Amino acid sequence: MRKQKATLGAAVKWLILIVLLILIAFPLAQVFLNAFRTTRELKRRPFGFPAQWHFENWSETWRVGEYGQAFLNSIVVSGVSICAELLIVGLAAYAIAKMKFRGRNFLDGYFFASMSISSFLYIVTDYFMLSKLGMINTHAGLILTHLARNIPFNLLILRTFISDIPGEIGESAKLDGCTELQAFFRIIVPITKTIFFTVAILVFVATWNEYLWSNTFITSPSLKTVNTRYVRFIGDNTADLARIYTSSAITILPIIAIYLIFSRQFIDGITSGSVKG
Amino acid sequence: MPVVKRKWRVTPYLFVSAAFLLHLWLVTAPSLYSFFMALCEWNGLGTPRFIGLKNFAEIFTSDKVAIGAIWNCVRWAFYQIFLSNLIGFMVAIWVSKLKKCQMPFRTLFFLPYVIAPAVIGKIWTAYFNPFYGINALFKSLGWIGLSNTLWLGDLVITFYVCMFVSIWANWGFQMVMYMGALQTIDPALYESARVDGATPFQELIHISIPCCYRTIVFMLMMSIIGAFREYDLVNALSQGGPAYASELLAMWIQTNAFENYRAGYASALAIIQFTICFAFYFVQRIATKAGGLEV
Repeated sequence: MRKQKATLGAAVKWLILIVLLILIAFPLAQVFLNAFRTTRELKRRPFGFPAQWHFENWSETWRVGEYGQAFLNSIVVSGVSICAELLIVGLAAYAIAKMKFRGRNFLDGYFFASMSISSFLYIVTDYFMLSKLGMINTHAGLILTHLARNIPFNLLILRTFISDIPGEIGESAKLDGCTELQAFFRIIVPITKTIFFTVAILVFVATWNEYLWSNTFITSPSLKTVNTRYVRFIGDNTADLARIYTSSAITILPIIAIYLIFSRQFIDGITSGSVKG
Repeated sequence: MPVVKRKWRVTPYLFVSAAFLLHLWLVTAPSLYSFFMALCEWNGLGTPRFIGLKNFAEIFTSDKVAIGAIWNCVRWAFYQIFLSNLIGFMVAIWVSKLKKCQMPFRTLFFLPYVIAPAVIGKIWTAYFNPFYGINALFKSLGWIGLSNTLWLGDLVITFYVCMFVSIWANWGFQMVMYMGALQTIDPALYESARVDGATPFQELIHISIPCCYRTIVFMLMMSIIGAFREYDLVNALSQGGPAYASELLAMWIQTNAFENYRAGYASALAIIQFTICFAFYFVQRIATKAGGLEV
């Protein structure tokens, strides 16, 4: 009886898993298939395999969207953002998770609360401030805003995971004469390096996909990032569907590729959240 | 010893300073300025005119859209908690127990999260298009009722379609976070439970959920805050329509700020948004403490 129940349970479980798999895989695959269709075909039959494979969609969209330059820009913006964010947020999360000091609870609350500040409240002021500093239409300015806006979320995730590391590890290092900074780089970062990797991916996703700030703070076309290209095609009155799908594919391909390449570390990173204490 | 002690005091502040100051400079300080604008009639560029609490009065007395949007956010949060998190948690438990093909499942389930909301919106508006989307499929199957449904143009259904797409995009992230929490549980706990003859359900209630408590509370809070910040995806799907049926608070703030040129009014809305989310910070603290964890 129990055995039968168990098999039924397993069947339901696998059924749900496979339904979820199909629900996710199909729409994603469709984007790539549609990237080879003509607009005319897309308006009549946007599902299944294309009647004819139009490879020139890719080269044309690449050229019209000036993707070569846009990719370079995105890589610079995302790369610098990731490195800087990890350093800033890592140190802060370590302090909040592992050190006792006055104001610790305040900071914890501060970062939690600030997550719910609507970006509309500061985007205009930021624009004027950065423009006074001559940082509008520069990657540096855009990166600064990316960094600041992504601090609370990533800090809280890192803090949650670092809290779970047994406290003694850092203590013993300090008894051996390490400074806090040495303890952080030599002990905390190595044992949590996979978590730092996780946050790196989260920052990558957040900066690569960002549109509003990237589009308003960067005005010259040669400095714009990949995601703003895509939205330009949507905004076009011509509504060239083939372009839209091809540019979607171009936008998401690298992010999928990077995720697939690093997914092993990424998931290990999330899953090794705590060292057994 | 006194030297060490002094270091102990200064270092944490140094470590936190970069994150705190950068955030204060570019996010909090400018926002405080805007908070003041909530008391003004202001188009965003000209001279603000002080009008006291009139903006707030308008929100609560005559702005039907704002009230509807707040209510939609509450519903949004409710479904995110009970569907997205539940699916995420359930699948996390299943997938973490798989011996083979864990990686393909984990990877594929997480993929939608890495795709830009605008792209996701485009993918799904194609499916829900009345002429060639799933409606054409239903028509060919002879299901006329379904084939005549306007998925993104119906007063009731649109909200749930947006919700569906949002869950589609986000539950994988929740799954991955829960898997992280599950992985930290000592396997010996499960073994001893099995020796005592515990059913899988009892294992769930007495081991999995208590051990993931911190993460669960954190993720639920993220879902609630997420509901009040949701903007991109719904905007790409339905623009809050028809007749504001799927309007969310963050969208109404943007509309007032950038389309209606009522920045003062939008600030007042943003303050309400912030207050609601901040209230949940205390709920989280209480919940974490009740779970016996240090905050």
